[in-house]
Amino acid sequence: MAVILIRACILYVVITFSLRLMGKRQLGELQPSELVVTILISNIASIPVEDASVPMLMGIVPIFTLVCLDVIVSAIMLRSARFRRFIIGSPRIIISGGVIQQQEMKRLRYTVDDLIEAMREQQIFDISEVYYAIVETTGKIHFLQKTDYQSATRADVDKGGSTTDPPSVIIRDGIQDTEQLGMLGLGQGWLQQKLRENNVGMKDVFLMTADKNGSATLIKRERSKSG
Amino acid sequence: MNRLAVSIAILSVMAAGCGVSVWATDKVAADMMEQVELTEKAFTDGDTAACTAHAEQLDGIWDGVMKYSILITDLGHALEITSSIAEIRSFAEEQNDELYAACDRAQAQISMFREMQMPTLWKIL
Repeated sequence: MAVILIRACILYVVITFSLRLMGKRQLGELQPSELVVTILISNIASIPVEDASVPMLMGIVPIFTLVCLDVIVSAIMLRSARFRRFIIGSPRIIISGGVIQQQEMKRLRYTVDDLIEAMREQQIFDISEVYYAIVETTGKIHFLQKTDYQSATRADVDKGGSTTDPPSVIIRDGIQDTEQLGMLGLGQGWLQQKLRENNVGMKDVFLMTADKNGSATLIKRERSKSG
Repeated sequence: MNRLAVSIAILSVMAAGCGVSVWATDKVAADMMEQVELTEKAFTDGDTAACTAHAEQLDGIWDGVMKYSILITDLGHALEITSSIAEIRSFAEEQNDELYAACDRAQAQISMFREMQMPTLWKIL
């Protein structure tokens, strides 16, 4: 029993490390090759956990082999467009200029129901609103609505807006995030000045956020009530 | 690029490990097979001392690699070899005729232990 427990812990670390090695992309939308690797990993990992007589290496070696090959294939795909097309295919247009490309849909084995369902997922309920639709290599469909049905943007109404990055947390629970402060281009002097202006010490701050313009929001820590 | 370097490094280490494992298994299996044959020959010649010495040597070789062998082979298979070698040692000391059968069994098991690590085409397929 203890052997199984320890093996499960080791495999957890191995799989977590493997998925990190594959990159964050893996956790979002999976390309066909990545899907294959993920399914295989889950199957391979279960064997040494279930059967204590099977060596751990029988699980670890194939997992790392698959992940490393996936990373190498991804690197080659970055360099060669032809190789990338061969491995993951290319996006396909199924609606162009408001006209459904029926032959393309047949080739992709997409039914009208699939198309309508994908539209509904993106809050489009009328096919006549769609100007352009493309099937990504992950199988997701993205739609572009005709201009009459698109929401107005700031550019459309000619209004100015904020072009600053959203604020970042620079103090949480009395602890300063030096890295964030540096990324905002704000120095230690600026921070100390803000603290003085608010008449608080670092330890008294519950949360402080700031943006690149130096605009800050400070929330003081609540004092615990005694008695 | 970092991931690529780590991946290539891991693959290289694993490939090297596999190569070492195949080489080491082949060498150990050859040494053990030789000891089994010498034990059998000494038994046929009626040389009890040599027979026991070779059986002990066989046991010693296997004892040295047993804990590593379970990294690459099924525990059950490793225990079968341990059991056969213990039989050989016991029969050699007792000068029991069943030693021949035990030697044949051990040779088959050692041969299988070796074969399981060899990446031959029929096994890959």
